[in-house]
Amino acid sequence: MPYLGGEEALRELRRALSNPHVQADPVRYRAAVLRVIRLMAQGADVSGVFPEMVKAGAVPDVVQKKLVSLYVRAQAPRQPQLALLAVNSLRKDCAHPSPAVRGLALRTMCGLRMPGIQEYLQQPLVNGLRDKASYVRRAAVLGCAKMVKLQGDCEVDGALVNELYSLLRDQDPIVVVNCLRALEEILKKEGGVVINKPIAHHLLNRMPDLDQWGQSEVLTFLLRYKPRSEEELFDILNLLDGYLKSSSPSVVMAATKLFLVLAREYPDVQADVLVRVKGPLLSACTSESRELCFTALCHVRQILGSLPGHFSSHYKKFFCSYSEPHYIKCQKMEVLCELVNDENVQQVLEELKGYCTDVSVELAQGAIFAIGNIARTYTEQCVGILTELLGLQQEHITSAVVRAFRDLAWLCPQCTDAVCQALPGCEDTIQDSEGKQALIWLLGTHGEKVPNAPYVLEDFVESVKSETFPAVKMELLTALVRLFLSRPAECQDMLGRLLYYCIEEEMDMAVRDRGLFYYRLLQAGVEEVKRVLCSPKSDPSLGLLGNQTKQPVNAWAWEFNTLIPVYGRERWALATAHQPVEPSCSGPPCTDSRSRDTESLISEGNKEVLKVQPSTGSLSLIPDASLTAEQFEKTWLSLDTSCHLSLPWCGPVPPDTIQTALHVVHIQTIAMSKAGAQPWKAYLSAQDDTGCMFLTELLLQAADSELQVSVKQSEAKPEALQSFISALRTVLEAVAGLGS
Amino acid sequence: MIGGLFIYNHKGEVLISRVYRDDIGRNAVDAFRVNVIHARQQVRSPVTNIARTSFFHVKRSNIWLAAVTKQNVNAAMVFEFLYKMCDVMTAYFGKISEENIKNNFVLIYELLDEILDFGYPQNSETGALKTFITQQGIKSQHQTKEEQSQITSQVTGQIGWRREGIKYRRNELFLDVLESVNLLMSPQGQVLSAHVSGRVVMKSYLSGMPECKFGMNDKIVIEKQGKGTADETGKSELGSGKQSIAIDDCTFHQCVRLSKFDSERSISFIPPDGEFELMRYRTTKDIILPFRVIPLVREVGRTKLEVKVVIKSNFKPSLLAQKIEVRIPTPLNTSGVQVICMKGKAKYKASENAIVWKIKRMAGMKESQISAEIELLPTNDKKKWARPPISMNFEVPFAPSGLKVRYLKVFEPKLNYSDHDVIKWVRYIGRSGIYETRC
Repeated sequence: MPYLGGEEALRELRRALSNPHVQADPVRYRAAVLRVIRLMAQGADVSGVFPEMVKAGAVPDVVQKKLVSLYVRAQAPRQPQLALLAVNSLRKDCAHPSPAVRGLALRTMCGLRMPGIQEYLQQPLVNGLRDKASYVRRAAVLGCAKMVKLQGDCEVDGALVNELYSLLRDQDPIVVVNCLRALEEILKKEGGVVINKPIAHHLLNRMPDLDQWGQSEVLTFLLRYKPRSEEELFDILNLLDGYLKSSSPSVVMAATKLFLVLAREYPDVQADVLVRVKGPLLSACTSESRELCFTALCHVRQILGSLPGHFSSHYKKFFCSYSEPHYIKCQKMEVLCELVNDENVQQVLEELKGYCTDVSVELAQGAIFAIGNIARTYTEQCVGILTELLGLQQEHITSAVVRAFRDLAWLCPQCTDAVCQALPGCEDTIQDSEGKQALIWLLGTHGEKVPNAPYVLEDFVESVKSETFPAVKMELLTALVRLFLSRPAECQDMLGRLLYYCIEEEMDMAVRDRGLFYYRLLQAGVEEVKRVLCSPKSDPSLGLLGNQTKQPVNAWAWEFNTLIPVYGRERWALATAHQPVEPSCSGPPCTDSRSRDTESLISEGNKEVLKVQPSTGSLSLIPDASLTAEQFEKTWLSLDTSCHLSLPWCGPVPPDTIQTALHVVHIQTIAMSKAGAQPWKAYLSAQDDTGCMFLTELLLQAADSELQVSVKQSEAKPEALQSFISALRTVLEAVAGLGS
Repeated sequence: MIGGLFIYNHKGEVLISRVYRDDIGRNAVDAFRVNVIHARQQVRSPVTNIARTSFFHVKRSNIWLAAVTKQNVNAAMVFEFLYKMCDVMTAYFGKISEENIKNNFVLIYELLDEILDFGYPQNSETGALKTFITQQGIKSQHQTKEEQSQITSQVTGQIGWRREGIKYRRNELFLDVLESVNLLMSPQGQVLSAHVSGRVVMKSYLSGMPECKFGMNDKIVIEKQGKGTADETGKSELGSGKQSIAIDDCTFHQCVRLSKFDSERSISFIPPDGEFELMRYRTTKDIILPFRVIPLVREVGRTKLEVKVVIKSNFKPSLLAQKIEVRIPTPLNTSGVQVICMKGKAKYKASENAIVWKIKRMAGMKESQISAEIELLPTNDKKKWARPPISMNFEVPFAPSGLKVRYLKVFEPKLNYSDHDVIKWVRYIGRSGIYETRC
């Protein structure tokens, strides 16, 4: 955003900066520099005063030096030629007697993002690493990492790495930690910094000197070290014991993770550790810093996944307080659901009941669903509470209760009777689509137990014209046909009316098609309808499964203290789904990134195979064979599957990567589901030089670990088909290999 | 590792933006504003993922502070760092407000430069930072030799939190035991949850490198000492049996030697100069609840509500509680309120939907009462009033956890002042945290 009037102000500033009188007066000089910085912060283009600013940096005043450093770092990428001017005076500053100035100069130089700076950096950095002031060494160590990052793909200097490794023995704790951080970045390609026995032991001994950030990071680095013997392992655990009770929650968490990972073969040690961190975790959960509290609650949930009873006796700690933010309340409710047991169920339910009348609709519904969840184990009490809530006749409460009831009827068939008794009267209060659907489903499926079910449904049929949600109409159709099977006399007439309406008057195609479908099904005879519609009315196995899966601690020990418990595993997988293979630091702009992705993909996959493919065999695919979606569909339906195969697959599908990868071997994508959709499907087409077409469907079922591939061919050419399939397989396997 | 730090005002305008890593682009600043600050609904989580970038935010009054990263980082550490950053800023310019941030923006950039390098936290102790941060820069024009050597000695010294050569004419120290007592009580007067989170804050003005030893009435210590001196066992059990307290969980400032605490339960340390937080603790047992709130709400018909609230103070009659404020929530459709109270002032604040009852001072073992008649507008909204809890604020001159400082001894072997020469002050302040009674 250009700053209006900036030019005028800037001209004036330039005059001031180059005025010898101003330069002679430190106070005025600094004020002028400060004004430049202010202008810059407001978004003005201040690149015009670069030479003057560089000159202003050459005064003894440290404050002014810092201001100029701020300016130079921000402006250097825009004018690399002029930035060289700054480099000169900065190099001079690197020999300044004051450590603060030396450190600042090093930091500034490393922060100049311009090509070719490396050659100027090398010498000052090496000197900085050997500086007698630790302040300078700290800056120099991280400066090395910055320099390597700027260089990009160049070979890493072995001498530098050795120097850094030796600096791990430095006196200053922050230098030690910075060394670890720098080595980790520099050696990223080789798998990061190596923690061998001497280094690990050295770090363990230095732990008490470090500040909380250092401790927390060193504990994370120590995860890499594998103790040689059981004895050594327990020595390490003993040494680190105190950190489980550290004042900083992040150190506690990092220590916990290290303990859990190191003791992966000793379940009793793990259990013991979890008992010992209970106190610190609980105090983090009740702390006044809400964000930290949120993080701790997420981790408590993770622990509860393996040890359901772990926090049961402290259930009161997870009661919500009125003024807490929404996200903490939601987390606490989830925790409460998970730690319910025979002793505390009464109190927990009482508490949750209180939240059901909360002003926030979302929270109230959340509490109702939480009670619904607990109902899978403690059915009677919960159904009682939920029924009571119906008495309030609140729109959002009733809707949520009915939805909870629907899930319950499906999961715990024993409570169906109680649920059915509670239903009458609900229809007047429910307004939203989800609630209506749940109610209609219940009435259709368990209609024989609700005396007035047909009449309630009749009301819905009467008002179907004014119904806004198509999903409700479809649910109504299914429910009414189902109810018709058990109570034909009461339903026949209105079913006729509903079908007539849906087929003749309805504007929504999906509803109309559903109507036609039932109409034709009914024409096929009652037996046929029964065969199609009378599926089981409940599935108790589902509910129990959800409760029983106790994860072993080792399943999440590596995820502890990362973002995964905070986001939840699914969301994390989604968020990182299409992470590019190697984020490059100084590449061409992003328009090219697609093709670059493919290049790196091929180089990582089977390069030779892919390159050889088009020339060998009888197959050569035409690069720009175009096929519209309609043509594709027509051809697809008219052909038989000529080949079917399944490939091993795990994790989500990165659609963009697949698409570009297939494009390289001249296979076009006609249509594709979004990332993370379940089931995931894609339709591909390709044509070879003889005009033979290959149509392919890729299908990935939700819980499946195999990708189903079906290929159809327009002319029967077995050889060509074989080569096509092998090409396709190579690409898919390469992508799968990247994904895992 | 933190890729960037942004500070926004309540409108979402960027006040400060500092990017440490190249992977955080300019658009990240806007992404957070659009997705979180300007989002219509409530904040879903303090951690937000937008386009593979994680945003960690905290709010201080109406200022948003956000740390941004693309790595899978350790969430607790990032939040702790943000808190620390707030502390450091507060130490420099007081309250974090838009005006203060705008006035001090150069200083903030300077601070951000020192406490984070390449996204990694560096030295963040306020005391140690003061030597590097040159803002205001009165002295820095001609940095003296002495100061330069100070930087070196401090930075190379073994003790990162204290520089050498500190001298005071008067050796003084202040100990503040600051507690916040949290309560959630059911309408029937049953304690649902209660805990005290406390801090011992020390302000020390001591010369040289003094070694301090701090003692309090922690149960374990007292039992241990009781065993140590066999003769006194009987006495100490009689004398201090009730006065010792059980600490659930405590943590110390970096300067406390933890190994000594674990083995002997003694708290010994060399304190940083000036103010710092010596320890932080939490207790849940035997809490002295300074006030009891007894609510009585009666619905008279559909348009009237009668509320009576009694508060009882429960501490020594000689002590005085201050700044007492009771907040009684009223329904949204309140049309008028009549309040009668014996003590203090009560007012209905329509904008806050509450009756606020303020009492300046109240002695222990007293009782006071307020009664109010609330007239309601008839509404067709059938939504039941959620009855938020009655909350209370107060300040009392004792520690609700029962914690007592038994001694604080100072030894400085090199300089010639002894424990007796040090002037010591101890003060106890108990404040209300979230002190709520459901009605």
